[in-house]
Amino acid sequence: MPQHTSGRLLSFPLLAFSMLLGAAAHARDDAPGAGAEPAWSLSGFGTIGAVHSSERKADYTASVLKADGAGATRSWSPNVDSRLGAQIDLSLNRRWSAVLQVVSEQGLDNSYRPRIEWANVKYQATPELALRFGRIALPMFLTADYRKVGYIYPWVRPPVEGYGALPFTSSDGVDASLRWSVGKVRNASQLFYGRDDVDLVAPLHAYARNIVGLSNTADWGALSVRANVISAEVTTDIGAALFNGFKAFGAQGASIARRYEIDHKHARVASIGVNYDPGRWFLMAEASRSRTDSLLGATRSAYASGGLRLGSFTPYLSVARVRATSPTHDAGLPVAGLPPALAAQAAQLNGGLNLLLATIPQQTSQAAGLRWDLATNMALKLQYDRVTPHHGSRGTLINPTPAFRSGQTAQVASVALDFVY
Amino acid sequence: MASGIPAGPAAAVKNEADLVVIVSSRSPVSALRPDQVAAIFLGQTARFPDGLEAVPLDQPLGSKLRDEFYERVASKTPALLKAHWSKMVFTGRGQPPVEAPDSAAVRRRVAENPELIGYIERGALDASVRPVLMVR
Repeated sequence: MPQHTSGRLLSFPLLAFSMLLGAAAHARDDAPGAGAEPAWSLSGFGTIGAVHSSERKADYTASVLKADGAGATRSWSPNVDSRLGAQIDLSLNRRWSAVLQVVSEQGLDNSYRPRIEWANVKYQATPELALRFGRIALPMFLTADYRKVGYIYPWVRPPVEGYGALPFTSSDGVDASLRWSVGKVRNASQLFYGRDDVDLVAPLHAYARNIVGLSNTADWGALSVRANVISAEVTTDIGAALFNGFKAFGAQGASIARRYEIDHKHARVASIGVNYDPGRWFLMAEASRSRTDSLLGATRSAYASGGLRLGSFTPYLSVARVRATSPTHDAGLPVAGLPPALAAQAAQLNGGLNLLLATIPQQTSQAAGLRWDLATNMALKLQYDRVTPHHGSRGTLINPTPAFRSGQTAQVASVALDFVY
Repeated sequence: MASGIPAGPAAAVKNEADLVVIVSSRSPVSALRPDQVAAIFLGQTARFPDGLEAVPLDQPLGSKLRDEFYERVASKTPALLKAHWSKMVFTGRGQPPVEAPDSAAVRRRVAENPELIGYIERGALDASVRPVLMVR
């Protein structure tokens, strides 16, 4: 399950949070002006969704951290988009505040056990500069740090093609945010350093260390441009048994293992996204690339989306693509000349390696949808997606059955009710 | 959409939708552009252009004045404004402005505090506050 387990690092912000809560309960108004009084607020968000997929040989889902989705497991799935989130904000004075956000959604363990998405203490050093200690959601792509709050964006979910590559979504550490302006362009820059531990399907784990990144959002009237770069050192035991098998085959096997095993490998993700939203309509586009010198490979993804706002209705269209820029097939160990028993073993290892390489996503999709704003805190969305994995890849689909074939188009229908409170 | 001070032609039909953005009469701020006002009310900046700290004060949620203000200054409907603040709140970047119950309360609190900036009906103006932007 995808529970973050770095309790040691989280204990500081949680302790500080409870101390601030206690202080807020006893503090007096000690400064004039708005925002000076200790205050706390409770807010939340959620999505009730159902998804149907015509591809019955694999599951359509929104994230690699899900146990299942629509298609193979069941034809209609509530697990793709449904979630509930709650947040407590605590403001002690103008400088110190804290946030705790908990989200319940299906994880890899097939439970809806809540997990901590945000937990940090913020020190507002100046009106422009803020320092945070604790857990933040990683600002990858245009929407990654708020992708769980469906009400914020027009679609049922952000294009899935960008998110497939890495299982890391948060950072436990420190970050600094700076607001600055150049003429009419208003920037918000964020620099962060931290780590992340993710429990995959037991007993597998994934670790990211030395996560370093920079995110900058530039707003100029209706135009918003966000650029992000992230680097991390990634380790996971995915495929460990396979690579131990390769290492038993001498120098050549060890070299294959070194190339593909995810053991202290450097991972990089860079993206740039543009959003133009004058109110009556919007256009969004984003391109990203990710690279890990491992079986996770290298990918490039892009999407574009546009919509019209007609009263409380927002019809929209999107296209998206992800493709591998690293080899998705490896000849592996030479089988010829080996004794029959060893040859069979080598062929099996080669097969296992290529199965893993085929999970590097290659996919195109088109979507059409309609958002209906029922109230100022609630929106109903309908979306139709055509999703096509290519070149032997399963794309962003999960749980493929042996009968799954790449290249077939899955028709996906989604309905979602998003709300914030 | 919006113009600088002073108020428009006196001959104009009295329109309750005429909004004025105000600061305290003790504030040195004399005029603001719509994009500068929008940036303060959307949490994109915490300062007036001259460097003084700026704290926005809102009209109540659901009030006609508030909806018109954001439509004209920021091209945002109530739903888009809600989406904007949801993004800010749920990424820990900020909280929406504090609200005052009506124009008289906004004017009174703004008059008392040079850091505050608010908006009221033009008819509610008096000498305790300074109009820095006419919004029509």
